[in-house]
Amino acid sequence: MRVSFPHMGNAYIALKALLSNLGAEVIVPPRPTRKSIDSGALHAPEFVCLPFKVNLGDNLRSLQMGADALAMVSGMWACRFGYYGRVQHQILRDVGFEFDSILLGRDGLGSVYNKFRTTVDGNLTLGWARAFRAFKRKAEAVDRLEKKAREIRPYERERGSASRALTEGLELIDSAATLKETGGASADGLEILAGVELEKKREEPLRVAVLGEIYAVLEPAINFDVERRLGEMGAMAYPSLSVYKWLFRPLKTDPGIIIDEYRARRATRPYLPYVLGGEEHQTIAGTINAARKGYDGVIHLYPFTCMPENICRTILPGIEARYGIPILNLCLDEHASPTGIATRLEAFTDLLRQRRRKSPNVSRTAINSQ
Amino acid sequence: MVKVGIPRALSYYRHFPFWKTLLEGLGAEVIVSRQTGRRLLEEGTMHCVDDICVPVKLYYGHVLDLKDSVDRVFVSRMVSVEKRDCDTYTCPKLIGLPDMIKNSFDDLPPIVDFVVDVQNRSLKKSAGRLAAQLGAPRSSVRKSLAAALEVERSYQRELLRGLDPESAMKVVLPATDNGNGAGSGPAGQQGEATGHPLRRLESRDNRFPGRLSFPSGAAEGKRGNINIALVGHEYLIHDPFISHNLPARLERLGANVILMTQVAPEVIERELKRYPDISWSYEKELLGAASHFLGREEVDGVMMVMGFACGPDSIISEIIIREVRREDSPPFTTLVLDEHTGVAGVNTRVEAFVDLIRRSGSRT
Repeated sequence: MRVSFPHMGNAYIALKALLSNLGAEVIVPPRPTRKSIDSGALHAPEFVCLPFKVNLGDNLRSLQMGADALAMVSGMWACRFGYYGRVQHQILRDVGFEFDSILLGRDGLGSVYNKFRTTVDGNLTLGWARAFRAFKRKAEAVDRLEKKAREIRPYERERGSASRALTEGLELIDSAATLKETGGASADGLEILAGVELEKKREEPLRVAVLGEIYAVLEPAINFDVERRLGEMGAMAYPSLSVYKWLFRPLKTDPGIIIDEYRARRATRPYLPYVLGGEEHQTIAGTINAARKGYDGVIHLYPFTCMPENICRTILPGIEARYGIPILNLCLDEHASPTGIATRLEAFTDLLRQRRRKSPNVSRTAINSQ
Repeated sequence: MVKVGIPRALSYYRHFPFWKTLLEGLGAEVIVSRQTGRRLLEEGTMHCVDDICVPVKLYYGHVLDLKDSVDRVFVSRMVSVEKRDCDTYTCPKLIGLPDMIKNSFDDLPPIVDFVVDVQNRSLKKSAGRLAAQLGAPRSSVRKSLAAALEVERSYQRELLRGLDPESAMKVVLPATDNGNGAGSGPAGQQGEATGHPLRRLESRDNRFPGRLSFPSGAAEGKRGNINIALVGHEYLIHDPFISHNLPARLERLGANVILMTQVAPEVIERELKRYPDISWSYEKELLGAASHFLGREEVDGVMMVMGFACGPDSIISEIIIREVRREDSPPFTTLVLDEHTGVAGVNTRVEAFVDLIRRSGSRT
């Protein structure tokens, strides 16, 4: 079985570990590019959200690379994401590809569990347990490196050196075959990142929360690597979501994530008393938190026509005014250009710097009071 | 008397008689916003997030239209509209509608909302909340809710007979001035409705479940020679401005228009059994109706009407095209409506579709 799945940030490292430990050959498509997104958009419905088109492009690439099974999450939510697998796989079949669908959620856990009966040698349950452990270990390692890179990026002496070190570290983790090697790779990766030359900056970096629709926040191919760009502009980016959180939220194994979710829902309730099925609670709660923690600004990312985030967008101006935190809304679609995003980010960070200079006490006191 | 305004958009087309009867029962005076017009739409678009769907922009326009003439604005919150053992939802925008409206305007009269969440909450409880918001006595809740449900049933029955929402409202609501049947409502009420009353009611007196009855008298007794079924949200099809009067336009071209509301709910249920489940209740109806129409001899063409940037529709239309449509299905087309007011585009496509059906010969 040659399994493939669409990209989402660095999730592929953990997912690859999961599937290869289950005995499947994993085909990781190349990272989404303008070209692959365009090929996805060609076959996708016209005004479906952007992640659909990107994922479809990824799937097309992996099928061309010889994948014979596609994995996707699926479910019955108010958000469109639950139908991605069903519609995308039908589109790909209509295009003429033949493959096996692994729809986690729709077919129930049992059928996905049993799909790997032939590929796992020995006991299936043990195989899953082993695979899950590798998956968890790698997801944690990736999360650790990402966090570290985020911290040092605004201070790097040479532009781009932190991102290069991160890529190197991620490659180490990706190529680790056993749990022990993963642990070693994680330590090595951290060491590489620690070796990046830093310099003291004249002023404290800006602190910017990056939040919004999860795919738009996590996938550098569609947000034009907002996190890196911000870091290299000398701003500290704090994404409210991470691949680790996304992978482990539905599994409900990490108490930290469960508490975080609960708190976010509670903070959102005065604005949105009902669940809309997306990351609306993380967006609203994240903005309020950012203001409380004294961040300089918030960047709200969402794909064109995203339903929950559009509702957030109507609510955010009120929060912006009440808590006095500037918000930049970035709506992403397949026509967005890197220059456009870069210009807006530059303008936004400039404004934030000016704002800080005008009232330097605001953010300082808030930081101290933490 | 509190003047409560109901925007003529979104759930208006499905439940206006229900809202009106309920609100009047609770001692409010009901005012409906004016028909959609160019200015109203422009105003709505201006106050709205730019990439949201057209129906929501329209809703904003209607709220603005009411703003100065009412004491309260009524906004419905449709969370779940059918009771089943799995999760059901409506579109997220319908769930978050009151929140969007509340946070978008500063100078709006207070909002009263009515929550329809039949999975988790009874209508009576919601009605109680509504009464509290209006300052009406709790004792009036039960009676007005019962009356409202009664009207809702007869409204759904009229829709099933083939009337469009506006004419059905005229029949059902005695108070409207030029209504033809004064209080003809619950005359033929027999047996009690199974299923949820807010869902389209299955009518027991419909002797041919699933048989299509063509709208009579819609075009002065003139019968067209082809039958075109319209599938799409009623707030698009029946808003004469945004749909450029689509049903009448088709009739002028000599077609009989079959509406989705004419398909009995049990037929839709039956059709839906053939496809994997969908969590959006309203879109599920589109799928069921489309499946029904696409499998019938007497339907010559099916037209799906969508609003630009509609989230669920973008998925459902793809499912209909790829899972429902077959080689021998009647011609199927989609018509995307947006806030552009030029008629030429719609005209061209509608005429082309009608021509195509006529030319295909065998089906005339």
